[in-house]
Amino acid sequence: MALETPIVEMRGISKRFGELQALADVDLTVHRGDIHALVGENGAGKTTLMNILYGLYRADAGTTRIRGNEARIAGPRDAIHLGIGMIHQHFMLVPPLTVAENVVLGDERGGPLLDRRGIEARVSELEARFGIRADPSAKIEDVPFGVQQRVEILKVLYRGSEILIFDEPTAVLTPQEVDDLFQIVRTLRGEGKTVILITHKLREVMAVSDHVTVLREGRNAAQLVTTRTTPAQIAVAMVGRELREIAARSGTPGDVVLEVSGLTAPSDRGGPALKGIDLGVRAGEIVGLAGVGGNGQSELAQCILGLRDASAGVIRVGGVDVAHDDPHRTRRRGVAYVPEDRRVEGLVLPFSVAENFILGKQDRAPYARRGILRADAIRREGARLATEFDVRPADPDIEVGSLSGGNQQKVVLGRELSESPKLIVANQPTRGLDIAATEYVHERLLDQRSRGCAILLISSELDEIRDLSDRIAVMFEGRILAVLPASEATEDRLGLLMAGHVEAVGERSGTSPA
Amino acid sequence: MRQPSFEWTRGPAIPVVSVLFALVLGGLFVWISGHDPITAYAALLRGAFGSPYDISETLLIAVPLLLTGLSVAVAFRAGLFNIGAQGQLLVGAVAAGWVGAQWPDLPAIVLLPLTLLAGILGGAVYGGIAGWLKAARGVNEVITTIMQNYTIVFVMHWLLQNGPMQAPNAFGTPASAPIGAGAVLPVIVPDFLVPSSRLHAGVLLALLATVAFWFLLWRTSLGYELRAVGLGMRAAAQAGIDPRKRMVIVMAIAGGFAGLAGMIQVSGLFHRVYDGFSAGFGFDAIAVALLGKNAPLGVVLSALLFAAFSRGGTLMQSDAGISSHLVEIVEALVLFVIAAETVVRAVARRWGTPVKAVS
Repeated sequence: MALETPIVEMRGISKRFGELQALADVDLTVHRGDIHALVGENGAGKTTLMNILYGLYRADAGTTRIRGNEARIAGPRDAIHLGIGMIHQHFMLVPPLTVAENVVLGDERGGPLLDRRGIEARVSELEARFGIRADPSAKIEDVPFGVQQRVEILKVLYRGSEILIFDEPTAVLTPQEVDDLFQIVRTLRGEGKTVILITHKLREVMAVSDHVTVLREGRNAAQLVTTRTTPAQIAVAMVGRELREIAARSGTPGDVVLEVSGLTAPSDRGGPALKGIDLGVRAGEIVGLAGVGGNGQSELAQCILGLRDASAGVIRVGGVDVAHDDPHRTRRRGVAYVPEDRRVEGLVLPFSVAENFILGKQDRAPYARRGILRADAIRREGARLATEFDVRPADPDIEVGSLSGGNQQKVVLGRELSESPKLIVANQPTRGLDIAATEYVHERLLDQRSRGCAILLISSELDEIRDLSDRIAVMFEGRILAVLPASEATEDRLGLLMAGHVEAVGERSGTSPA
Repeated sequence: MRQPSFEWTRGPAIPVVSVLFALVLGGLFVWISGHDPITAYAALLRGAFGSPYDISETLLIAVPLLLTGLSVAVAFRAGLFNIGAQGQLLVGAVAAGWVGAQWPDLPAIVLLPLTLLAGILGGAVYGGIAGWLKAARGVNEVITTIMQNYTIVFVMHWLLQNGPMQAPNAFGTPASAPIGAGAVLPVIVPDFLVPSSRLHAGVLLALLATVAFWFLLWRTSLGYELRAVGLGMRAAAQAGIDPRKRMVIVMAIAGGFAGLAGMIQVSGLFHRVYDGFSAGFGFDAIAVALLGKNAPLGVVLSALLFAAFSRGGTLMQSDAGISSHLVEIVEALVLFVIAAETVVRAVARRWGTPVKAVS
């Protein structure tokens, strides 16, 4: 195999964006018929490298050879011509058109008249060959994300691509959809296609890839054969140091801190978002709320905080009903909130780090006295919290909008966790963060649990839920289908529950509070 | 991955560049119309700052521009667009004029603060109504404040022409009875410095208001909350800062600034309320706030600039025979370029970062 000419060979690729050296002398060798994982932290340069291969960026230095011939790829058109196709993270489909119409879009053969039968037949043929299931006559707006992604794959195959680049393809999928995707990827390999998979999820690398190229800070960190490596080894290459073990589970949980019963609430569009939620979280306990995004998790968090009016039901925090309190009152009872979208809900981006630390505390000591801000105290506390929560750079005066995602989230945590809350509602606290930042967030949450804080952890990352939670509740269409002890919550079972299969509960562990 | 460069778009560069650009383009118009642009601008400058008297007259125009500019700016800081500074100014003027004329014999130490309070409160209530409608009913403040501008004009027709505020022996322009001597803001420039100057203590009140504007927004908890609502409404809301309450408060504050402008026009300049009084300040205020980037010093400088245009433009017409409409053209161009800033930013961003994806 090593003697064969690689299908993709990139040598000494460098790319600079202003001050930032995004890539420095990076090599990438991919063999025909391989599933090649390109892994690295956020900002490691994996997407930049693939954008160069796909012709979206031009490299400052280095050569790219496709099938042994030096290639000058000036744009996606050149890339497509060379048989390179990209499946983007954000789908580029036309919702009112059918699956088949989207597949042929921009490449309608046979004149201006659309031969619906003909294209549907051709698309079906492709589907059969690559084991991809998607009804060619279904409208895109009616099919789930997993199927939309298959359409993106079909589009690329339809254009005759031999090399398929997948950019973080599993971000929006349920566990079952991920399995289906990997099955498709294996079939592609079986049909002689070459797959490059951009990801930072080690599990996926181990599950599906043949070779791994690890980038760190724009440089090659490792080139590995999957069967001869371990997740730990890849992680060390990605992060540049050993990962810390997640702390052992704490002792027995204490009193019930959060108690939700019979909670119903409308969605923004008017229909019901929550249809009778019963849930309890005890002191010193993390309850994970699993579910595919959009099944009412965010609405539940908003109800607890007082950002959304409940239509019926009770929410008690420390025994007091807070269902009709506004966020100001709820927070005064010791409720902290890590919102889903830190850039819109978590932070005031044009404010400085220090100013963001005092959001919601701007009218009380030590930050204010009789309505007058105390600039010295705000700066001093800002500097202290920035250091304590490892915000980089640890400058209280820097604008939060200029920080990286991980550092922005540290500012949110610094604000929310610094006053010993009784209850933390954390909604997707590690979304979009890299391994090091994710690890940091997890450690801080576990610290709070050992301190005796009750934590409701909402996440669509099953690994995160299973690693951190003491009990796991699965939400589907505004209901909690089951609450399982972490030990009984296998991935299969959670996956089925997330897809709405109640029968997966098995020996039902009950949905009663606590 | 990379911050857009063009950091200079944040500082005073854009306002300065836009004023220069507008002046050059305005000069072009003068030249096309057959006059010498240098002569025109020299006359304008002389008119605005040529003598101590001219300077004091320019400052007199700058006072209401500054206060209504602060009114628009404070609302902008909280994310609201106050088109109603003009109406709020008029309500402040009516309230101050009524109080000043109602108890004309009170000593200044009592009557002046009362008049001041009446002006500020009048404007604040009027602005607060728009804020409340937005908070409670979701009515766009742009619409309500525009309508309020008309409402007070017609209320004034009634009040001054055949209503309760009509002066008993007024002729010509409908007007109210004069305010008492105790409600008058004294002239602060002695005659030996500037003969027959009209520059009154209102200019000090306006500067005090500017300091208050700065202190409120950057030194108080309330100001922090207003800025947080303006820059990140949802983040503020989840942190327990109710944006609706802050909307009412900030519109009342905005109205207070404009109401103070109205009070100063009555107490310092006209000593009564006329129908059709102080037209236009509240609209120029939007330009003043935009050009001043809603910052205290910026609003002061742009109020001075617009005052100089206004004063200098009139003299330019009488001295150099160039239509004072030139000034309006230049003002419009300034606004045009400021508005184009968003376009400039978008273009800068496009140049600054590579294209991310194709569709």
